[in-house]
Amino acid sequence: MPDSINRSSLLKWLVDPVQSTSGVAKRAYRFVGDRRAWLVPMALGVALLAISLLGLWESPDDFFFAYLVGWSFLLTTALGGLFFLVFNHLTRAHWSVVVNRINEALVWAFPLLLLLGLPLLFGMHDLYHWTHAGLYDPGSPQYDEILAGKRAYLNTPFWLVRMGVYFAVWTFISYRLYTLSLRQDVRADPEIPAALRSTSAWGLPLLAVTTAFASYDILMSTDPHWFSTIFGVYFFSGGALGAVATITLVSLLLQRTGGLLQGVITPEHYHDLGKYLFGFVIFWAYIAFSQYMLYWYGGIPEETVWFQHRLQGGWAWHSAALVVFHFLIPFLMLLPQATKRAGTVMAVLSVWLLGMHWFDLHWVVLPVLRESGGFHWLDFTCWLGLTGIFAGGLMYRLSRHPLVPQGHPSLHDSLQFENMQ
Amino acid sequence: METSKKLPTDPSESPPSPAGDGAADPERLVQGNLSFHDITEMVSRHAEKKAPLAWYVAFGVSLSGALLLIGLLAYVVWNGIGVWGNNQPVGWGWPIVNFVFWVGIGHAGTLISAILYLFRQHWRTAINRAAEAMTIFAVICALIWPTFHVGRVWAIYWTLPIPNQMAMWPQFKSPLLWDVFAVSSYFIVSTLFWYVGLVPDLATLRDRAKNFWRQRILAFFSLGWTGSNRHWRNYEKAYLLLAGLATPLVLSVHSVVSFDFAVSVIPGWHTTIFPPYFVAGAIFSGFAMVVTLMVITREIYGLKNLITIDHLEKMNIIILLTGSIVGFAYITEFFMAWYSGVEYEQYAFINRAFGPYAWAYWIMMTCNLITPQLFWSKRLRRSIPVMFALSIVVNIGMWFERFVITITSLHRDFLPSSWGYFTATWVDIGTFVGSFGLFFTLFLLFLRFVPMVAMAEVKGVMPEADPHHYDPEGNGHAEGDGEPYIAPAEPALAEAYRNDETDAPE
Repeated sequence: MPDSINRSSLLKWLVDPVQSTSGVAKRAYRFVGDRRAWLVPMALGVALLAISLLGLWESPDDFFFAYLVGWSFLLTTALGGLFFLVFNHLTRAHWSVVVNRINEALVWAFPLLLLLGLPLLFGMHDLYHWTHAGLYDPGSPQYDEILAGKRAYLNTPFWLVRMGVYFAVWTFISYRLYTLSLRQDVRADPEIPAALRSTSAWGLPLLAVTTAFASYDILMSTDPHWFSTIFGVYFFSGGALGAVATITLVSLLLQRTGGLLQGVITPEHYHDLGKYLFGFVIFWAYIAFSQYMLYWYGGIPEETVWFQHRLQGGWAWHSAALVVFHFLIPFLMLLPQATKRAGTVMAVLSVWLLGMHWFDLHWVVLPVLRESGGFHWLDFTCWLGLTGIFAGGLMYRLSRHPLVPQGHPSLHDSLQFENMQ
Repeated sequence: METSKKLPTDPSESPPSPAGDGAADPERLVQGNLSFHDITEMVSRHAEKKAPLAWYVAFGVSLSGALLLIGLLAYVVWNGIGVWGNNQPVGWGWPIVNFVFWVGIGHAGTLISAILYLFRQHWRTAINRAAEAMTIFAVICALIWPTFHVGRVWAIYWTLPIPNQMAMWPQFKSPLLWDVFAVSSYFIVSTLFWYVGLVPDLATLRDRAKNFWRQRILAFFSLGWTGSNRHWRNYEKAYLLLAGLATPLVLSVHSVVSFDFAVSVIPGWHTTIFPPYFVAGAIFSGFAMVVTLMVITREIYGLKNLITIDHLEKMNIIILLTGSIVGFAYITEFFMAWYSGVEYEQYAFINRAFGPYAWAYWIMMTCNLITPQLFWSKRLRRSIPVMFALSIVVNIGMWFERFVITITSLHRDFLPSSWGYFTATWVDIGTFVGSFGLFFTLFLLFLRFVPMVAMAEVKGVMPEADPHHYDPEGNGHAEGDGEPYIAPAEPALAEAYRNDETDAPE
């Protein structure tokens, strides 16, 4: 039995930085399934992306915007997972230990996301109006005084540097949290819980600042005139919801279709995951309402124009659908205790909320491109294609390691956790 | 009432544990090997015996402050609110600053009692009673300001939508009216929540009462509590429901207060981050006030075994977290003012940091963003003098935050002809000082007459309250009895985890 973990080869490192430790997994926590678990989603994802490439040739604008939405969906979800993991380490949460590994598999996503994000660089000109050189030339008919004032921040080299910094920070924090926890599976070094907490402690402020600025750079600057101080919180709130939904869904998939982790993740844990889903559904609505209401009430044109685009030409249906399907229905569904403890309901809700998170990002981004609402087929193929590859990576990581952090000192408490005495 | 037994007031003077397992187990919330009865005794006696001299001295000082407040408010009513420094262009002066300041402080109690309850943070039990009381008193202090700021205080009930023969209604579109609803519902629910939590403890006092009238009065307020199984069941359900209902209120109150500013189109006020940032600031100042009060209370009343350094440390971590959130919001506002390209926004922020009120801005920045960072050090956040000083610094900073927001955005209007410099009058200072008098008067009355620690709840989180506490190992279920048997964690590992002191972020 090995007593340490080894680094993967470079290409594999992108998907999983350490070699398989499933050899040390206790029987109850071992992934028993074949490679189809990760191969099927990955193959589907690649196929869908290949189809999307046909769309790139037909309509590059639609492709790049659809790709940005799909990519942001995964990025926000991974960031939400990272926040959730950091939060659980810092508060020494016991209940969550049995689902921590699923979250850890989710957060080792940034190298792959960086790779998957590279095609966006070819669409910078379509996606980001501020990349047009004419805007900054006082002699040009396109000269834009406002954007010229932002040029110190919104310019391609600085944008690329910032992206590099964000991904370096996220990769470093998730690398520490992921590998320390895997090392704990192999040899339960008592130093590790403290190291996880200290990484979480210094990681949290870095994570908060990078996430906020990433939200401005990646999404808010698609409409470069518009600004909102709460935008980073909005970006976070949807991602956190997506992360908890992903953890719930993957747990249920492992248990229901894989027959794994029986009696390890119990309705007690789903109950708590359900509470977090409920909390983040409300938190998202609170932040979205704050942003909308304050701009609507103030009525200053340069602020309300963003919402105006989203309230006309068919986008009004999207806006209304967000209120009903991203907030009202999940809120009512998650309010009772019974639904949070029922696996099937939680599975449906997780898929639903992940869909709504994508729908929300679609609503944020696409009105920049299209006057009228609705969807393009590329919106779905890009999103699902990227998600397939991402999910394949997630399942690949899970298949190579114990499914719960088996050396975690609070695992015992997590296993016998109960909500109600 | 004289106590026959000397109770340990400090973890250092604990008697050796009868089980011989060492006196100071860091996992335990209650230190000093106290029994359930010791806790009853330790808390109840302060509400039963004569108050110490120090209490009378403090009460005298506070009461003079409260009287000063009442006198000055009478003076304000008599002369009109012009005796405060409010004038053109700064129509909202200290009264609004003080309102937001006090209502912010009034956030910690219900956060501790409701949100931390939902998050199963058992350490809340030692401080929630006093924190909730403090919350209620802070909200009372807050409500004074808008009430008198309307000028004609006798017409304050016009803020309520009462059908009347004049067919006159309040302006439902105004966030100032939403404030009336938000703060009053918060006040009502917080008071109710506090009272529900008090019932079992009032019954304890009732059962200990030696005097007929004392017993009758406490019997009235303890609602016939007998501690039966059914009573506890109903109580737990009611408490959970109230916690669920109070949780959105904790967030809504300061969000609505932030709307007072943010719905206007005044540069520096009209920004979307305001609701969550105000809530974070409120929690920040509220926890600082709880730390200030608890450091004194545990010392004077010998409650160091109940309110331990670990409790204070956890509050200091929350202060560090919320202070950093607030600081990041300041930076975000500044960045976004530049990024927006709106020259008025840009000017408002440059003017805040480098204009005539730069001194206030930098006090705010120092006290709220910079000094709380000292709590990264485990040694400092566990040091009583440091946390006491810092908790006061935080509240100074938070008062200045509201001052900066309110005054700097108003003092330079869009036309330079309507620029001015706000100066507080002696009445501003007197009423503000007086509000502290009122706050401490109420808090001292609370300490004197009400059990200051939630005895029943503290007992409920002690290991002895677990039905399996005396079982030798595991979760008490034998293998094969139908319930899942779970073996105890590896003892050495669990021990190492418990004892590690190295989680201080360096």
